[in-house]
Amino acid sequence: MKVNSSDYLKQVKPLLKTLLNDLLKEYSYVSILASDSKAMVYSVSKQGTSINEDTILNGRGFVVKVYDNKSYGEYSFNEITKDSIPSIIRKIKEELAFLKTLLPDGITEGVYARLPEEEASFSESTDYIENPDTLGSELIVAHLTTLSEKARAFDNRILDCSAACRYQQLHKLFLSEKKDLEQNILWTTGSIMVMASRGEEIKYYFNGYSNLGGTEILKEMEQDVENVAKYTLELLDSEPITPGEYDCICTPEVTGMIVHEAFGHGVEMDMFVKKRALAEQYIGKQVASPLVTMHDGASAAGETATYFFDDEGVPAQDTVIIEKGILKRGISDSQTAMYLKTPPTGNGRRQNYERKAYTRMTNTFFEAGTDTYADMIASIKYGFLLENASSGMEDPKNWGIQLMVNVAREIKDGKLTGKIFSPIVLTGYVPDLLKSISMISDTVKLGGGGFCGKGYKEWVKVSDGGPYIKAKIRLG
Amino acid sequence: MKKKGWVKPLFDKILSALAENKISEYLINDTLKESVELFFIKKSLDMRRQKDVHHYSVTVYHDFSKDNIKMRGSSTISLFSGMTEAEISNSIKNAYYAASFVCNPYYDLPSGQKEALLKIKNALTDLSLSESAKKMTTALFEMDTEKDTFLNSAEIFLEKVTNRIVNSRGIDVSYEKTTVKGEFVAQCVTPQDVETYQSFSYDNLDTEALKTKVKQTLAMTKARANANTAPAAGEYTVLLSGQYVRELFHYYLNRSSAGMIYPKYSNYQIGSNVQGEDVQGEALNITLIANEPYSSEGIPMKDLPLVAESKLETIHGNSRFCHYLGITPTGQYQSIKVPSGSLSFDDMKKEKYLHVVNFSDFQMDDFSGHFGGEIRLAFLYDGKTVTPVTGGSINGSILDVQRNFSFSKELQVEEHFEGPFAVKLEHIRVAGI
Repeated sequence: MKVNSSDYLKQVKPLLKTLLNDLLKEYSYVSILASDSKAMVYSVSKQGTSINEDTILNGRGFVVKVYDNKSYGEYSFNEITKDSIPSIIRKIKEELAFLKTLLPDGITEGVYARLPEEEASFSESTDYIENPDTLGSELIVAHLTTLSEKARAFDNRILDCSAACRYQQLHKLFLSEKKDLEQNILWTTGSIMVMASRGEEIKYYFNGYSNLGGTEILKEMEQDVENVAKYTLELLDSEPITPGEYDCICTPEVTGMIVHEAFGHGVEMDMFVKKRALAEQYIGKQVASPLVTMHDGASAAGETATYFFDDEGVPAQDTVIIEKGILKRGISDSQTAMYLKTPPTGNGRRQNYERKAYTRMTNTFFEAGTDTYADMIASIKYGFLLENASSGMEDPKNWGIQLMVNVAREIKDGKLTGKIFSPIVLTGYVPDLLKSISMISDTVKLGGGGFCGKGYKEWVKVSDGGPYIKAKIRLG
Repeated sequence: MKKKGWVKPLFDKILSALAENKISEYLINDTLKESVELFFIKKSLDMRRQKDVHHYSVTVYHDFSKDNIKMRGSSTISLFSGMTEAEISNSIKNAYYAASFVCNPYYDLPSGQKEALLKIKNALTDLSLSESAKKMTTALFEMDTEKDTFLNSAEIFLEKVTNRIVNSRGIDVSYEKTTVKGEFVAQCVTPQDVETYQSFSYDNLDTEALKTKVKQTLAMTKARANANTAPAAGEYTVLLSGQYVRELFHYYLNRSSAGMIYPKYSNYQIGSNVQGEDVQGEALNITLIANEPYSSEGIPMKDLPLVAESKLETIHGNSRFCHYLGITPTGQYQSIKVPSGSLSFDDMKKEKYLHVVNFSDFQMDDFSGHFGGEIRLAFLYDGKTVTPVTGGSINGSILDVQRNFSFSKELQVEEHFEGPFAVKLEHIRVAGI
């Protein structure tokens, strides 16, 4: 089934066109992004049951971008009627323009050219099997309650299981002098977090699930809940690792965290404009093992970061960032691409209509290789299988790595010993890690359970992943 | 009498829809936000933005019985300008239906009365958002005077928020608050090209605090440019300062919330010694600070003692979890104040130490007590010389170190924290070279 269009956006589109045409009399470039998003979060745990809107993703509103032949300004609002259009125009023409006259001495206004545009008009929708609205709150809560109770009953050492489901049904319109675009998207994610106590310390294992679709994902969660409970109990016997550099196998989820945090943020080209990314100096150079090819793109995979056009009206693409170890190009929003004189890659994304667009990743992953998982484990004399990535932080300037993973499983003489170390901090220098990749498995898995921030804000949905990889990594 | 062209305000439409659907228990949050936003690359304005948005959030409560136990389910939705009365009524009806599947044991909702709009007045509210933006921009760049160490980029957000909170138990309170928030990146290009990210948040026109923060960050970045190697792997006495002290103390704030205690994620009880038995270092004293006059449920908030001489004095939380624990709801707190410690920062540095001033991302896990992060900049004192180092990571547990805390006499103010500038932690594992 295709996701339907928004009745609300259909209703306000004539008003937005009026606003656009009125502003085009004053400005050489005007665009309007309109958004209608329903996003809900369901969760069940011993804390209780909750059904709430997602406060970041939920909402209806608009952002107007204008170019005054020197620079760009934006106005976000969420109320429009025929009568309110003159006051919106007044706000843009008078107050938004006024801001740049308030700059203190020594601070100048940045000067840009007009954004280039090509004619485009389309309406696209993603597919789903089971719409969360159709399934309904009663059954979603019932599924999650079953999951939570099943995990809690698994072993009396289990303290709790939080089972959650989140979805966003998103409708967007992009209007400008030459563009009239519409997209309708549905994604659904789930999570299972099982907690067990070891005295005052609580150990937990978290698994995320995601799809570009609907609540059909709940079935996958049901099949996995006992595994999550089992992994949590294993953590009760874990101990701290002896710091050092080891041969490691990364699960696709940890590979995804490395792709996204260690390298992906560094090729967001708004960082090139600010001279904040080391990657700018490495275009055309080897940055990874020849086994490595890396993609990013809203059309590169069908996952939670899939869309048909970005928040600046640029069509979605599949960008090859690293090809056989060589850094080919970065990703960019429109203004960045214009500044750097490179083609835009459809990566201009906003947290929502209330926020600025930045260069952001979408679906980011390494391509598959030719090795098998079994051969990779067998190749390790002493090392670890790293799994259950929990967080990471980018360092585009210096390519430092910080990733936290929950589990390191000991490998000795090509076999898993059953011994577990936790928690683990991965550190090091990005090219050293990527160049050390010596084996890559033959299947790719992406996960889109999480959000990505730019620094500590501007949360957008992303997916990342890849194959199992073997690399030398510093653990602590 | 309605005038021609009169449009019923959305708030009134919501009240009508609640009545039409015979919903007797509800909470409405009506939030008006106005902002001015400036984005800089070096000393150039790259983008300017303004925002005027109005959000309505409605929580409906549905009382029912299950297995002879009285339940109170709830569901929260957003309602938008432009919705017809029929759409609003339908959305509320659906939310009420969804709430009937939320099997949470019954709890009382807070009650109150109508109060006058509370305007939090200070230098920030005396000016327009644009005028305040200009003053904060001036402060931001005032210390940016050097050629090799400078502000690479910055963002400033001035936001005025008017919140109105109304529930079915008589609460009708509102307040207006203006804040200035933002972030900046300091860069030093020689001898190595390095940078430091920093954020700021003030409820007042605190230009001096911003200037100080910029000055300290520029100095930190300059020091990092001279750091070449990671510390050797091993066990260290670690000094944490700045925002990382807040992260450590917020473990106690979060562990003492009713939402963590009710499901037994936290074993804290009133009178618990939160530092464990046999405390040999400094005893904890923490005060909860009310950053807002009311919680999101409309509960009046005031400063409260959280921990006194290591003993827990208050459990804080919303009406549901507090009802379950049989305590008076306080609202959920985000900010704390901690008194100064007994050691000067200089005294802390008399013996060997590793003073970490910048992590790539410091993580403090409220469940496990584990903390750690990759070191962006630290100063290593081996008893003779101080060397700037970068790289490697620390990995520790607050459960292992909390009996031997030392806090600095010097104080600092960070977002959601006022307290010691530094804390000394013994026997911390460091993964280095």
